[in-house]
Amino acid sequence: MKRLYILMALLALSLTSITSFAQVPFAQLEQRMGTPTLAPMLEQATPAVVNISVEGVRVTRQRIPDAFRHFFGQQEQTREQPFQGLGSGVIIDAQEGYVVTNNHVVEGASDITVTLNDGRTFSATILGTDPESDIALLKLDEPSNLKELPLANSDELRVGDFAIAIGNPFGLGQTVTSGIVSALGRGGFAGGRLENYIQTDAAINRGNSGGALVDLNGRLIGINTAILGSTGNIGIGFAIPSNMMKNLVDQILEFGEVRRGILGVRGRDLDQQLADALGIDRTQGAWVSEVIQDSAAQQAGLQAGDVIVSINGTQLHSMTELAAKVGAAGAGREVRLGIIRDGRELSLNVKLSEAETTVTAATMHPALRGATLQNNGGNGLRVTGIEVKSPAEQIGLAEGDVIVAVNRRPVNSVTELRSLLERSKGVTALTITRGNRQLYLLLPN
Amino acid sequence: MAKQHASLLTQYLIKPALLGFIVAALVLAVLPLVQQPTESSRVATASDLVSFADAVELAAPAVVNIYTTQSSHPNAHLQGPPTLRLGSGVIMNAKGFILTARHVVSNVDQIRVALQDGRVFGAQLIGSDSLTDLAVLRIAADNLAVIPRNDSYTPRVGDVVLAIGNPYNIGQTVTQGIISATGRNNPDNAYSEFIRMDAAINEGNSGGALVNSRGELVGINSGRYLSEQGEELTGISFSVAYHLAERVMEQIIAEGSVTRGYFGVEARHAFHPELNIPGVVIERIEPEGPAHLAGLRPGDFLVRINGVELKSLNQALDMVAATRPGTSIRIDFVRQQQYLTTEAVIQHLRVPEE
Repeated sequence: MKRLYILMALLALSLTSITSFAQVPFAQLEQRMGTPTLAPMLEQATPAVVNISVEGVRVTRQRIPDAFRHFFGQQEQTREQPFQGLGSGVIIDAQEGYVVTNNHVVEGASDITVTLNDGRTFSATILGTDPESDIALLKLDEPSNLKELPLANSDELRVGDFAIAIGNPFGLGQTVTSGIVSALGRGGFAGGRLENYIQTDAAINRGNSGGALVDLNGRLIGINTAILGSTGNIGIGFAIPSNMMKNLVDQILEFGEVRRGILGVRGRDLDQQLADALGIDRTQGAWVSEVIQDSAAQQAGLQAGDVIVSINGTQLHSMTELAAKVGAAGAGREVRLGIIRDGRELSLNVKLSEAETTVTAATMHPALRGATLQNNGGNGLRVTGIEVKSPAEQIGLAEGDVIVAVNRRPVNSVTELRSLLERSKGVTALTITRGNRQLYLLLPN
Repeated sequence: MAKQHASLLTQYLIKPALLGFIVAALVLAVLPLVQQPTESSRVATASDLVSFADAVELAAPAVVNIYTTQSSHPNAHLQGPPTLRLGSGVIMNAKGFILTARHVVSNVDQIRVALQDGRVFGAQLIGSDSLTDLAVLRIAADNLAVIPRNDSYTPRVGDVVLAIGNPYNIGQTVTQGIISATGRNNPDNAYSEFIRMDAAINEGNSGGALVNSRGELVGINSGRYLSEQGEELTGISFSVAYHLAERVMEQIIAEGSVTRGYFGVEARHAFHPELNIPGVVIERIEPEGPAHLAGLRPGDFLVRINGVELKSLNQALDMVAATRPGTSIRIDFVRQQQYLTTEAVIQHLRVPEE
């Protein structure tokens, strides 16, 4: 009898352990009143998703057609339009008050207010943005008592995994919608942009931008960014994977800007026909048709005809995905590429070089209008173009000049230049290197 | 002694028994959770989260993208560049037979099928059926991924379903929802059995697969519900039930089309007021139709077809539709409280082609 008692108790114990074991697959799909629910997970996650409201002035420029220049002069016509906007954001560092959102939510904003779901409001400043990937990093003023979202490894996602979107659609207030991962590595919608989206059928609408896509454990898997469909949600939404976001945010924190990495290859997606021709037994990857001279790829030993099948151990689906992952990894970073060459698998480490990004200087200072700038490998900023009779030419700036300092403070990146110009009061002095000469140029206020 | 006995009883009998009950209750409470992952072990993933990834992995390779071109406009003088259209399809067997929606491939000149492994094939239209909006294509290809099927699966309202297709040609997309209704739930179509569901469906999804959480085929996606104003509504989509789709496919493969029997009546299901038995009341009769030629009249109460009692209108419809044209059926009916019997020769159901 006693033994039976113990046996039963043991059985009960083992069963309870089975219970917890059995519930593991349903980790956060907890049972409440016998019904699976996301509520406990969401109670943890939603405080980390914020509403963002912005105000500012957007400058739209209109080039005057040649025929009318005679009447209006050379100046471009600019129109300043005040705007207000709404979006969402995700707290990724509660201590520092870092909030990640979409660039298009905060672009041009002079005034950013972040509202938590407990009603508290903070003003925020932009630490850095990356229009090409549509990521922006904000910092809350005097952060306290915040909750952050832990990050999931978005490379481990599979089509069919649950995905829950948290955001502020139409400014209605915080809203949670659920769906699944519909596809991965989606891109190619807008040329020249870095796109490696997670596609989801969780309802995403205007105002959800910058909000969180989380897994069943309440970990961040993506930043909701875009939808297909002009009228609203049709079950096709896109989110920037958390790994890509993390890479970009790390760069913004380190350099104040995104220093996009570049591999230096051309090619196209692998498909069955190409795979048959190459005699390999897989159909997903990026086929290299050309390796650009003196590029990172060439230095690492990549060859035309190689098929890149993985990056840092994660399977690669397409050329677009490769470009997005390399771009987001950042200049100077090393990535490990899995390659198939002549039917053999090998692995190459590539130190990425920096992609050239050009900036129109007019967005920084009116007197620089007409100049285009580019990072000069961490040594000032190179002027890559000057429009004839533009304000930039009138102050004496010339193509090939390197801007090395503002008011004698060294400047090495576009972001540094922008913040120095913003802080500068009165007349601003630029230090320029032209050939082997150094000179000063004055920017009128 | 008696008291001690009682405490002994508590200790050795009641307690274990109670514990047994608790354990039993626990087992009952836990079992659904324990069994779910084992029963549908392919649904649960190695990771610690619920996911449909394994179902997707099984089913998705068997769903193809369909691209069609239509070069000639019905009005010759309006001829322009070929129109491209988009759809999806499901590989049903290793011989290369593909089920799709009829509206994806009707009135087109060229059909191309793109597999998920990157291969592209020209496809032959074997046949189609406008009443179920289904069509069968064939491609000459080896090493095909075939959609998983389970003949014993019965769709139920509330089952999780995944729609797989190629909306707007952005690439293969999986959307999730539940079964909202089963059976003949489309008021506009009496012949087709639909699965109604709320998974997001868009242009290009038509002809694609609806699968359950084990990746097994539930239906062939047909399209979204159109409101009376002609708007497409989100959250209400139709998928032709797999069993029906398979029957239609087999007939199309065997004969090139689907032949249905025609009886020539409009009728409704009813209970006979005096006899209190179920049956079908004729409301209108097609002149010179099979029922008319058999001597039936409006108001006649049909009780049996070929000896089988009629329990619903759909049953009667199915029995007639399944009868080969030219075959006669025996009909037992009641007219003015009199049991009568007649024979009707079934005709061919003509469907207006668009």
